[in-house]
Amino acid sequence: MNQPVLEARDLSKTFASGAERIAVFSGLSVSLAAGQSLALMGRSGSGKSTLLNLFCGLERPDNGVITLLGERFDYREAGAAGQQEKRWARLRRRQIGVMFQEANLMPALSLLDNVRLRARLAEQPLEQCQTWLERLGIGELAERYPDQVSGGQRQRAALAMVFAMNPDLILADEPTGSLDRRTAEEVTAELFRLQAETGVALVLATHDPELAEQCQVTLDLAHGNQAGPAP
Amino acid sequence: MTLFAAVFSHYRRHPLQLAALALMILVATTLWSGVRQLTEQARTSLSQSEQVIAGREQVVRVDGAALTVSDFVTLRRAGLCVMPWLEVPRQGDVGLVIGVDPLAAACFGGAGGAFGNSQIRLEGEPFVDISEAARMARELPAAEPPPSLALIAAGEVTADAVPAGYRLADFSRGPDTGELGESFLLNLDALGILVLLITALLLRSVYRLGIVQRRDSFALLHRFGVPPAQIDRWLVVELLVLSALCILPGLWLGSWLAGLLGQGFGRSLEGLFDAPLYAAPGQWLAPAFTMMAVVLVACLADFLVPGAHRLAGSRGKGKLAGGFLVTGLVLALLSPSLVWVFVAVAIVFAGAGLLTPALINRLADRAADASADPLSRWRYRELAVMARQLALPVVALQFTLAMVLAIQALVTTFEDTFDRWLGQRLEAELYVAVPEGRSGEAAARWLTSQPELQTSGVWHRVIRGRGSVSVSGSAPTPVDLFALSPVSSLVTSWDLLDAEDDPWATLTRGEGVLVNEQLARRLELGVGDRIALEVAGQQLNLPISGVYADYGRPAGEILISGALLPEQFRPDFESFSITPGTLTRAELIRGLEAVWQVSGMTVRDNEEIRALATGVFDQTFLLTRAMTVLTLTLAALALLVMGWVFFTGRNWYFRLLATWGLSRREVAAQLTRLSVGLTGSVALLALPLGIWLTWVLVHRINPLAFGWSLPMAVYPGFWVELIGLSLLIGLGIALLMGRQLRAGAALPVSASSLTGGER
Ligand SMILES: Nc1ncnc2c1ncn2[C@@H]1O[C@H](COP(=O)(O)OP(=O)(O)O)[C@@H](O)[C@H]1O
Ligand SMILES: [Mg+2]
Repeated sequence: MNQPVLEARDLSKTFASGAERIAVFSGLSVSLAAGQSLALMGRSGSGKSTLLNLFCGLERPDNGVITLLGERFDYREAGAAGQQEKRWARLRRRQIGVMFQEANLMPALSLLDNVRLRARLAEQPLEQCQTWLERLGIGELAERYPDQVSGGQRQRAALAMVFAMNPDLILADEPTGSLDRRTAEEVTAELFRLQAETGVALVLATHDPELAEQCQVTLDLAHGNQAGPAP
Repeated sequence: MTLFAAVFSHYRRHPLQLAALALMILVATTLWSGVRQLTEQARTSLSQSEQVIAGREQVVRVDGAALTVSDFVTLRRAGLCVMPWLEVPRQGDVGLVIGVDPLAAACFGGAGGAFGNSQIRLEGEPFVDISEAARMARELPAAEPPPSLALIAAGEVTADAVPAGYRLADFSRGPDTGELGESFLLNLDALGILVLLITALLLRSVYRLGIVQRRDSFALLHRFGVPPAQIDRWLVVELLVLSALCILPGLWLGSWLAGLLGQGFGRSLEGLFDAPLYAAPGQWLAPAFTMMAVVLVACLADFLVPGAHRLAGSRGKGKLAGGFLVTGLVLALLSPSLVWVFVAVAIVFAGAGLLTPALINRLADRAADASADPLSRWRYRELAVMARQLALPVVALQFTLAMVLAIQALVTTFEDTFDRWLGQRLEAELYVAVPEGRSGEAAARWLTSQPELQTSGVWHRVIRGRGSVSVSGSAPTPVDLFALSPVSSLVTSWDLLDAEDDPWATLTRGEGVLVNEQLARRLELGVGDRIALEVAGQQLNLPISGVYADYGRPAGEILISGALLPEQFRPDFESFSITPGTLTRAELIRGLEAVWQVSGMTVRDNEEIRALATGVFDQTFLLTRAMTVLTLTLAALALLVMGWVFFTGRNWYFRLLATWGLSRREVAAQLTRLSVGLTGSVALLALPLGIWLTWVLVHRINPLAFGWSLPMAVYPGFWVELIGLSLLIGLGIALLMGRQLRAGAALPVSASSLTGGER
C-alpha cells in the first residue's frame, strides 16, 4: 500500500462574489497515505469545508488534479464532467464516508434504520449495523429517532453510519463543532479509536488546534483567504 | 430597521410566497363572488318573476279554450276591466318580454299607465307595448308553441261581474315550482360555499407555511422586547392590507366571470323554472367584507381562537373522523330535506378531511415497517411526514378531485340519459305544426288515406292543451295535456321509469294515462293510482299506467289517448310527428299544404330540434363545469407550491442522499416516487369520496332540487384521467424540486434543535 489514498495537485477554487471572483485557495497540493490522518486547520471561512467537498466530488475545483483511491480526476481539461460525477458518486457510495457538523441523519428514520440505510447504499451487510451502534455506546438507543437523542448521541450515530459502510477514507467536517467540550472530546476519542482499529484514512476539518494535534499531519488553510482575487 | 420592516422582511426574501398568497386571495374572491353574483341574480329573478304575477287574477274561458281578441271585446262590452298580457320569449337572448296594452290599462286606476301594484320595477324593462310583443311573437320559430294571450283582471273585478262562459282564475305564469326554485338556489349556495371552503383551505395552508418559517424571527423579535400581542397585531394589519389589495380586483374579476357565464346560466334558469334572468346590480361592500373575514379566519384562526390548533394532532382524531363519517353517511341516506343533505355532505367531507392525512400517514408507516429495504423504508417514512405536513393542501386536493369526479359523473350521466331520452322523443323524422286556424282532423284523415304511409311509414298527431288533475278530492293541479292519436310506434319505445305490463296498450284503449316524473313526484303518484282529470269541463277518472322521465321542464304533464278528448276541447297547439317512409318529404308537404290550403308551413326535422336541445343542455352545465375546472386548477397549483416549499425545507436531506453516493438522477427518481406517491394516494382516496358524492347528487340532491332523478353511473375512464392528473401534479413538484437540488442546499435551519416536525 505505497500508493497514497488521496493526492491533490495544484487545486484552486474561486467563488463568484458579485462581479469579481474570490479565490478560496490556489495551487494547493496535499497527499495522504492509507491509515493516515490529516487535519485541515483554519478559521471559519478559510475554505475547510470547500476543500472537503472537493475531496468527495460534491464541488468541482477550477483547476488541478485529484487522485483518490486510484481514481484520477483531472480538472485541467474542460468537459467530461458528467462522467466524473458518476465516478465520484460511486466512490462516495462505497468508499468515502462523509460526516458533517450536524444533520447527518434522516430525521424520519430511527438511528438503526439510518445506519442500515447507509450500509445498504455501501453494499455492506446489514447485520453489523446494531453492532456498530453498540460499539459507539448507543446500542440501546437504536430504535430512537434523531430528535429523541442528544446532539452527542446523534454524532455517535453518524460515526456508526460512516464505519458501517467500511470506508477507505473518512471526511469529517467539524464533526464536534456543535457539541459541548466534554461530549466533543468523547466523540473525538471514539473517532480516533475506531480509525486506528479499522485503519481507515481520515481528513478532519477543525478550527480547534488541540483536536488538530491528534492527527498525524496538519494542513493550515489560515492564509487561504488572503490569496486575493484570481487572475 | 423598523418593526414593520422586520415583520415584512420575510416576504422580501420569499416574494414567491407573497405572490402565492395574493394569488390565492384573488382567485378565491373571483370564484366565490362569481358564483355568488349569479346566485343573487337568480334569487332576484325568481322572486321578481313571482312578484310580477303575484295576486293578479285573470279571466279565462270556462271551456278552457285559448283567448282571442274577440273574447277581449266581449268582456270589455260587458263592462269588465281587463288588459291583454302577452308573454313572448326573447329570440336569441335570455328572458321574457311582457306585452301590455297601456290604453286598456287605463281602467286599472292610477295614472300614467300604471296598473295594479305599480311598484313593480324590473331591471331589464321586460314590459313592452303589446304591439311590439305581438311582432316578436310572429317572429318566433313555428315549432315553439305560440305564446298565449292572457287577460288580466283589474283588482275590483268580482266573480259575479264575469259574464257567462268565463270565470276568474289565479294568474300563474308556469307550474308551481316554489320549492324547487328554493332548492335550486340552495344548490347554488352550496356550490359557492364549497368553492369558498376549498379556497380558504388552500389560503390557510400557504399562509401557515409562511408563519412556520417566520417563527424563528418572531422569537427573535420577542427576545428583543417586542410583546407577542404587538406582533399578532402586525400580522392582522399585514393580512388586512394584503386582502384589501387583492379582494377588490377579485370582486371585479368575479363579476366579469359572472357576466361570462350569465348567458348559459340564464338559459338554464329559464329552462328549469320558466323564470327569466334579470340583471341584478353588482354588490361590492358585503362580499368584500365577507371575503376579508374569511381570509382573516382562515389564516389567523389559531391566533384568534387560542387552543384551536390543539384540535389537530390529538389522538382522538381518528374516532372523531369516524364519528363524522358515520353521522354524515346516515344523515345523507335519511334526511328528508335538501338542507340536511348538504349538512350531511359537509359532515362527511369534514370526516374525510380529518381522516385522509392520518390514513396516508398510517398506511405509509405500516409499509415502512413492512419493508426490509432501508431505502424504501426511508421513502415510506418521508411519505408519512409529507402527508402530515401537507395535510391542508392534500385535503383540499382530495375534496376538489372528489367534486370534479362527482360533477363529471352527474353531467355525463345526464348527457347520456338526456341524449337517449331525446332520441326516443325524436323518433319521427319530421315535425309539422298545424297552422293557426286549420284543422288537425282533416290532416289526420289525409294521412290515413296515404297507402305508402300506412305500409312504410309511421305517424301520430299530438294535441296539446291544458287540464287539471286532482287526487282523491284534493285541490286541482294545472297540467299540460298531451293527447296522442293514434298511439304510434314512435312513442312505444320510450324508457319508462315505472309502468304496468303494457302501458301503451292501456293508453291506446283509453283505459289509462301516463304522467311525467315531475307530476308524479309533486303529487306522490305511482303506477295504479287513480286520478281525476278535468279536461274542458269534463271529468275523467283514470288509473296511471306509467311514469315517464322528462328532463328540463318543470311542468306537470299528462299523456292521454286522443279519443278521450271531449268535443268542446280547444287545443293550444297541434302537431304531427311523421316518418314518411317511401312517401317523399315533398309529397307529404304538398299534400298537407293542399289539405290546409296554405303555402309554406313549418317542417322541422329531428336533427334540427336535437341541435337546439343539446345547445340548451350544454349551456345549463357551463357554470358547474367552469367552476370545477377553475377550482381544480387552483388546488393543483396550491399543492404544487406547497409541495415545493415542503421539499425546499427538506432539501438538505435529499442532498444527504447525494452525499451518500446516489447520483443526481437517482435522487431525482426518489423525489419523484415520493411526490407521485403522495398525489397518487390522494387521488385514490378521492375516488370513494367522489363516488359517494355522485350518489348523493344523483339520488338525493337532484330529485330534491329539480324534481327528477337520474340513473347512477360511474366512469372509470375519467377516474384514470383524474389519477393521471394527480400524478402529473406530483411530477411537477418533483421537477421543481430537482431544479432546487441542483442549486445546492444549506443546513436545515433547525438542524441543531430538531422539533419533531421532521418525522
Ligand atoms: N457556494 C458558495 N458561494 C460563494 N462563496 C462560497 C460558497 N461556499 C463557500 N464560499 C466562500 O468560500 C469561503 C470558504 O468557505 P468554507 O469552505 O465554508 O469555509 P470553512 O468551512 O473553513 O468555514 C468563505 O469565504 C465562503 O464565504
Ligand atoms: Mg465549514
